[in-house]
Amino acid sequence: MKCYICAKEGRDSDAVAICIVCGMGLCMDHAIREENDVWEGGYPFPAHKVKQRLPRILCPECAIAMKGEK
Amino acid sequence: MASLMRRSVAELVGTMLLVYFGPGAAAMLLMIAARESGPLQSLTIGSLGGLADWLAIGLAFAIVITAVIYGLGRVSGAHINPAVTIALLASKRFPATDAVAYIVAQLVGALLGSYLFYLSAGMDAVTIGGLGATAPALGVTFWMAILAETIGTFVLMLIIMGVAVDERAPPGFAGLIIGLTVGGIITTIGGLTGSSLNPARSFGPAVGDLLLGGPDVMGVFPIYIIGPILGALIAVFFYDWVVKED
Ligand SMILES: [Zn+2]
Ligand SMILES: [Zn+2]
Repeated sequence: MKCYICAKEGRDSDAVAICIVCGMGLCMDHAIREENDVWEGGYPFPAHKVKQRLPRILCPECAIAMKGEK
Repeated sequence: MASLMRRSVAELVGTMLLVYFGPGAAAMLLMIAARESGPLQSLTIGSLGGLADWLAIGLAFAIVITAVIYGLGRVSGAHINPAVTIALLASKRFPATDAVAYIVAQLVGALLGSYLFYLSAGMDAVTIGGLGATAPALGVTFWMAILAETIGTFVLMLIIMGVAVDERAPPGFAGLIIGLTVGGIITTIGGLTGSSLNPARSFGPAVGDLLLGGPDVMGVFPIYIIGPILGALIAVFFYDWVVKED
Protein backbone atom coordinates (compact mmCIF):
# COMPACT_ATOMS: atom_id res chain seq x y z
CA MET A 1 0.00 0.00 0.00
CA LYS A 2 1.01 3.60 -0.66
CA CYS A 3 0.55 6.71 1.49
CA TYR A 4 -2.77 8.32 0.55
CA ILE A 5 -1.69 11.86 1.40
CA CYS A 6 1.57 11.63 -0.50
CA ALA A 7 -0.30 10.13 -3.47
CA LYS A 8 -2.68 13.11 -3.52
CA GLU A 9 0.34 15.42 -3.58
CA GLY A 10 1.69 13.51 -6.54
CA ARG A 11 4.42 11.66 -4.65
CA ASP A 12 4.81 7.94 -4.35
CA SER A 13 5.77 6.66 -0.89
CA ASP A 14 5.16 3.33 0.76
CA ALA A 15 2.70 3.18 3.63
CA VAL A 16 4.04 2.02 6.96
CA ALA A 17 0.79 2.38 8.90
CA ILE A 18 -2.99 2.61 8.56
CA CYS A 19 -5.26 5.17 10.22
CA ILE A 20 -7.44 3.27 12.71
CA VAL A 21 -10.42 5.57 11.96
CA CYS A 22 -10.61 6.09 8.17
CA GLY A 23 -8.24 3.35 7.08
CA MET A 24 -5.97 5.40 4.86
CA GLY A 25 -2.41 4.17 4.30
CA LEU A 26 0.21 6.50 5.79
CA CYS A 27 3.94 7.01 5.33
CA MET A 28 6.22 7.66 8.32
CA ASP A 29 5.85 11.45 7.85
CA HIS A 30 2.05 11.41 7.80
CA ALA A 31 1.31 8.80 10.46
CA ILE A 32 0.46 10.20 13.90
CA ARG A 33 1.09 7.70 16.64
CA GLU A 34 -0.24 8.38 20.10
CA GLU A 35 -0.48 6.40 23.32
CA ASN A 36 -3.53 6.45 25.52
CA ASP A 37 -3.91 5.56 29.21
CA VAL A 38 -6.02 2.53 30.01
CA TRP A 39 -7.87 2.30 33.32
CA GLU A 40 -8.97 -0.83 35.09
CA GLY A 41 -11.40 -1.28 37.96
CA GLY A 42 -13.78 1.32 39.36
CA TYR A 43 -16.64 1.17 41.84
CA PRO A 44 -16.54 -0.60 44.28
CA PHE A 45 -12.78 -0.85 43.75
CA PRO A 46 -10.32 1.97 43.20
CA ALA A 47 -9.56 2.45 39.52
CA HIS A 48 -5.90 2.07 38.54
CA LYS A 49 -3.92 2.89 35.44
CA VAL A 50 -2.73 -0.13 33.48
CA LYS A 51 1.10 -0.05 33.09
CA GLN A 52 1.07 -0.62 29.34
CA ARG A 53 -0.40 2.30 27.39
CA LEU A 54 -2.54 1.64 24.34
CA PRO A 55 -0.95 2.87 21.10
CA ARG A 56 -3.03 4.02 18.12
CA ILE A 57 -2.27 5.49 14.75
CA LEU A 58 -4.27 8.30 13.12
CA CYS A 59 -3.98 10.29 9.93
CA PRO A 60 -3.65 14.10 10.32
CA GLU A 61 -7.32 14.67 9.33
CA CYS A 62 -8.76 12.18 11.82
CA ALA A 63 -6.42 13.43 14.54
CA ILE A 64 -7.84 16.94 14.09
CA ALA A 65 -11.45 15.69 13.87
CA MET A 66 -11.08 13.71 17.08
CA LYS A 67 -9.13 16.16 19.17
CA GLY A 68 -9.78 19.61 17.77
CA GLU A 69 -7.46 22.05 15.98
CA LYS A 70 -4.99 22.57 18.81
CA MET B 1 -4.30 4.06 41.77
CA ALA B 2 -4.44 6.81 44.36
CA SER B 3 -2.36 6.26 47.51
CA LEU B 4 -4.00 4.62 50.53
CA MET B 5 -3.89 8.04 52.20
CA ARG B 6 -5.88 9.71 49.42
CA ARG B 7 -8.28 6.80 49.16
CA SER B 8 -8.90 6.90 52.91
CA VAL B 9 -9.60 10.63 52.69
CA ALA B 10 -12.09 9.85 49.92
CA GLU B 11 -13.82 7.30 52.18
CA LEU B 12 -13.83 9.83 55.02
CA VAL B 13 -15.38 12.57 52.89
CA GLY B 14 -17.86 10.17 51.27
CA THR B 15 -19.10 8.83 54.61
CA MET B 16 -19.19 12.36 56.02
CA LEU B 17 -21.51 13.46 53.19
CA LEU B 18 -23.64 10.33 53.60
CA VAL B 19 -24.17 11.01 57.32
CA TYR B 20 -24.69 14.75 56.88
CA PHE B 21 -27.43 14.31 54.27
CA GLY B 22 -29.00 10.93 55.17
CA PRO B 23 -29.35 10.98 58.96
CA GLY B 24 -29.52 14.76 58.59
CA ALA B 25 -32.81 14.31 56.71
CA ALA B 26 -34.15 12.11 59.54
CA ALA B 27 -33.19 14.73 62.13
CA MET B 28 -34.69 17.47 59.97
CA LEU B 29 -37.97 15.57 59.73
CA LEU B 30 -38.23 15.33 63.53
CA MET B 31 -37.40 19.03 63.87
CA ILE B 32 -40.15 19.95 61.40
CA ALA B 33 -42.60 17.62 63.18
CA ALA B 34 -41.75 19.29 66.48
CA ARG B 35 -42.43 22.69 64.98
CA GLU B 36 -45.84 21.47 63.77
CA SER B 37 -47.01 19.67 66.88
CA GLY B 38 -45.02 21.19 69.72
CA PRO B 39 -41.97 19.68 71.37
CA LEU B 40 -43.90 18.03 74.22
CA GLN B 41 -45.57 15.59 71.86
CA SER B 42 -43.75 12.27 71.58
CA LEU B 43 -42.45 12.43 68.06
CA THR B 44 -41.61 9.67 65.67
CA ILE B 45 -40.70 9.68 62.02
CA GLY B 46 -43.96 8.94 60.22
CA SER B 47 -46.07 11.27 62.35
CA LEU B 48 -46.08 13.89 59.60
CA GLY B 49 -46.62 11.84 56.48
CA GLY B 50 -46.67 8.15 57.32
CA LEU B 51 -44.61 6.04 54.95
CA ALA B 52 -43.95 9.15 52.88
CA ASP B 53 -41.71 10.37 55.72
CA TRP B 54 -39.54 7.33 55.17
CA LEU B 55 -39.65 7.73 51.40
CA ALA B 56 -38.35 11.28 51.84
CA ILE B 57 -35.53 10.13 54.09
CA GLY B 58 -34.84 7.24 51.73
CA LEU B 59 -34.58 9.66 48.81
CA ALA B 60 -32.11 11.84 50.70
CA PHE B 61 -29.97 8.74 51.22
CA ALA B 62 -30.47 7.62 47.63
CA ILE B 63 -29.32 10.91 46.18
CA VAL B 64 -26.27 11.37 48.37
CA ILE B 65 -25.18 7.75 47.85
CA THR B 66 -25.52 8.16 44.09
CA ALA B 67 -23.54 11.40 44.23
CA VAL B 68 -20.75 9.89 46.33
CA ILE B 69 -20.46 6.77 44.16
CA TYR B 70 -20.19 8.79 40.94
CA GLY B 71 -18.01 11.43 42.63
CA LEU B 72 -15.52 9.23 44.45
CA GLY B 73 -16.13 5.67 43.24
CA ARG B 74 -13.10 5.69 40.95
CA VAL B 75 -10.81 6.98 43.69
CA SER B 76 -11.46 4.69 46.67
CA GLY B 77 -14.32 2.51 45.49
CA ALA B 78 -16.70 4.59 47.64
CA HIS B 79 -17.64 1.83 50.08
CA ILE B 80 -18.65 4.42 52.71
CA ASN B 81 -19.85 1.44 54.76
CA PRO B 82 -17.73 -0.92 56.91
CA ALA B 83 -20.12 -3.80 56.15
CA VAL B 84 -19.34 -3.46 52.42
CA THR B 85 -15.58 -3.22 53.07
CA ILE B 86 -15.69 -6.28 55.35
CA ALA B 87 -17.70 -8.32 52.84
CA LEU B 88 -15.21 -7.50 50.04
CA LEU B 89 -12.36 -8.37 52.41
CA ALA B 90 -13.95 -11.67 53.50
CA SER B 91 -14.43 -12.72 49.86
CA LYS B 92 -10.75 -11.94 49.16
CA ARG B 93 -11.56 -9.04 46.87
CA PHE B 94 -9.98 -6.37 49.05
CA PRO B 95 -6.68 -6.30 51.01
CA ALA B 96 -6.77 -6.32 54.83
CA THR B 97 -4.46 -3.33 55.42
CA ASP B 98 -6.57 -1.17 53.13
CA ALA B 99 -9.75 -2.42 54.82
CA VAL B 100 -8.56 -1.31 58.26
CA ALA B 101 -7.70 2.17 56.97
CA TYR B 102 -11.03 2.42 55.13
CA ILE B 103 -13.08 1.46 58.20
CA VAL B 104 -11.27 3.95 60.46
CA ALA B 105 -11.81 6.64 57.81
CA GLN B 106 -15.50 5.75 57.49
CA LEU B 107 -16.07 5.99 61.26
CA VAL B 108 -14.23 9.30 61.57
CA GLY B 109 -16.06 10.66 58.53
CA ALA B 110 -19.43 9.60 59.96
CA LEU B 111 -18.76 11.38 63.24
CA LEU B 112 -17.61 14.44 61.34
CA GLY B 113 -20.80 14.37 59.25
CA SER B 114 -22.95 14.34 62.39
CA TYR B 115 -20.92 17.15 63.91
CA LEU B 116 -21.20 19.28 60.77
CA PHE B 117 -24.96 18.72 60.75
CA TYR B 118 -25.12 19.90 64.37
CA LEU B 119 -23.08 22.98 63.40
CA SER B 120 -25.48 23.66 60.50
CA ALA B 121 -28.78 23.03 62.30
CA GLY B 122 -28.06 23.89 65.92
CA MET B 123 -28.88 22.19 69.21
CA ASP B 124 -32.41 21.17 68.06
CA ALA B 125 -30.73 18.75 65.68
CA VAL B 126 -29.31 16.97 68.73
CA THR B 127 -32.10 17.23 71.34
CA ILE B 128 -35.08 16.85 68.97
CA GLY B 129 -33.49 15.26 65.90
CA GLY B 130 -31.07 13.00 67.78
CA LEU B 131 -28.77 13.67 64.81
CA GLY B 132 -30.77 11.04 62.94
CA ALA B 133 -29.50 8.21 65.13
CA THR B 134 -30.90 4.72 64.58
CA ALA B 135 -32.94 2.84 67.20
CA PRO B 136 -35.61 0.14 66.88
CA ALA B 137 -39.23 1.33 66.91
CA LEU B 138 -41.55 0.55 69.80
CA GLY B 139 -42.39 -3.16 69.77
CA VAL B 140 -39.37 -4.12 67.66
CA THR B 141 -37.10 -6.38 69.73
CA PHE B 142 -33.30 -6.61 69.54
CA TRP B 143 -33.50 -9.79 67.42
CA MET B 144 -36.27 -8.51 65.15
CA ALA B 145 -34.14 -5.45 64.50
CA ILE B 146 -31.07 -7.56 63.72
CA LEU B 147 -33.12 -9.65 61.31
CA ALA B 148 -34.45 -6.57 59.48
CA GLU B 149 -30.97 -4.99 59.27
CA THR B 150 -29.53 -8.29 58.02
CA ILE B 151 -32.14 -8.61 55.29
CA GLY B 152 -31.83 -4.95 54.29
CA THR B 153 -28.04 -5.10 54.01
CA PHE B 154 -28.29 -8.43 52.19
CA VAL B 155 -30.25 -6.67 49.44
CA LEU B 156 -27.77 -3.76 49.37
CA MET B 157 -24.73 -6.02 49.07
CA LEU B 158 -26.45 -8.30 46.56
CA ILE B 159 -27.11 -5.36 44.25
CA ILE B 160 -23.50 -4.16 44.67
CA MET B 161 -22.36 -7.62 43.56
CA GLY B 162 -24.77 -7.79 40.63
CA VAL B 163 -24.45 -4.26 39.29
CA ALA B 164 -20.78 -3.51 40.04
CA VAL B 165 -18.54 -6.35 41.23
CA ASP B 166 -19.64 -8.87 38.59
CA GLU B 167 -17.58 -8.40 35.44
CA ARG B 168 -20.70 -8.94 33.35
CA ALA B 169 -22.49 -6.00 34.99
CA PRO B 170 -23.52 -3.20 32.62
CA PRO B 171 -21.10 -0.29 33.20
CA GLY B 172 -22.26 3.08 34.49
CA PHE B 173 -25.39 2.13 36.39
CA ALA B 174 -23.94 1.26 39.80
CA GLY B 175 -24.33 4.66 41.46
CA LEU B 176 -27.91 5.19 40.36
CA ILE B 177 -29.15 1.67 41.08
CA ILE B 178 -27.41 1.31 44.44
CA GLY B 179 -28.67 4.68 45.63
CA LEU B 180 -32.24 3.87 44.63
CA THR B 181 -32.01 0.43 46.23
CA VAL B 182 -31.00 1.94 49.56
CA GLY B 183 -33.85 4.45 49.26
CA GLY B 184 -36.31 1.61 48.71
CA ILE B 185 -34.99 -0.46 51.61
CA ILE B 186 -35.27 2.55 53.92
CA THR B 187 -38.88 3.13 52.87
CA THR B 188 -39.78 -0.37 54.04
CA ILE B 189 -37.66 -1.03 57.13
CA GLY B 190 -37.06 2.55 58.26
CA GLY B 191 -40.10 2.28 60.50
CA LEU B 192 -38.69 -0.86 62.13
CA THR B 193 -35.02 -0.13 62.80
CA GLY B 194 -34.29 3.25 61.23
CA SER B 195 -32.77 1.20 58.40
CA SER B 196 -29.09 1.78 58.97
CA LEU B 197 -27.56 -0.98 56.77
CA ASN B 198 -24.24 0.57 57.74
CA PRO B 199 -22.34 0.52 61.07
CA ALA B 200 -20.67 3.86 60.26
CA ARG B 201 -24.02 5.53 59.50
CA SER B 202 -25.22 4.53 63.00
CA PHE B 203 -21.87 5.27 64.68
CA GLY B 204 -21.69 8.95 63.71
CA PRO B 205 -25.05 10.07 65.15
CA ALA B 206 -24.82 7.74 68.18
CA VAL B 207 -21.42 9.06 69.25
CA GLY B 208 -22.42 12.59 68.27
CA ASP B 209 -25.45 12.34 70.57
CA LEU B 210 -23.23 10.99 73.35
CA LEU B 211 -20.79 13.91 73.03
CA LEU B 212 -23.36 16.65 72.50
CA GLY B 213 -26.01 15.51 74.99
CA GLY B 214 -28.61 13.93 72.70
CA PRO B 215 -30.58 10.72 73.30
CA ASP B 216 -28.52 7.74 74.49
CA VAL B 217 -28.69 5.07 71.77
CA MET B 218 -25.40 3.32 72.48
CA GLY B 219 -27.26 0.36 74.03
CA VAL B 220 -28.82 -0.57 70.68
CA PHE B 221 -25.69 0.15 68.62
CA PRO B 222 -24.71 -3.58 68.47
CA ILE B 223 -27.81 -4.17 66.28
CA TYR B 224 -26.25 -1.93 63.64
CA ILE B 225 -22.91 -3.70 63.76
CA ILE B 226 -24.18 -7.29 63.75
CA GLY B 227 -27.09 -6.96 61.28
CA PRO B 228 -25.31 -5.10 58.45
CA ILE B 229 -22.08 -7.12 58.62
CA LEU B 230 -24.02 -10.39 58.72
CA GLY B 231 -26.27 -9.36 55.82
CA ALA B 232 -23.34 -8.21 53.66
CA LEU B 233 -21.37 -11.40 54.34
CA ILE B 234 -24.32 -13.64 53.49
CA ALA B 235 -24.85 -11.65 50.27
CA VAL B 236 -21.28 -11.99 48.91
CA PHE B 237 -21.05 -15.69 49.62
CA PHE B 238 -24.58 -16.29 48.35
CA TYR B 239 -23.80 -14.37 45.15
CA ASP B 240 -20.53 -16.22 44.55
CA TRP B 241 -22.37 -19.51 45.05
CA VAL B 242 -25.47 -18.74 43.02
CA VAL B 243 -23.67 -17.46 39.87
CA LYS B 244 -21.35 -20.45 39.65
CA GLU B 245 -21.62 -22.25 36.31
CA ASP B 246 -22.30 -25.99 36.65
ZN1 LIG C 1 -7.86 8.89 9.21
ZN1 LIG D 1 2.83 10.39 3.25
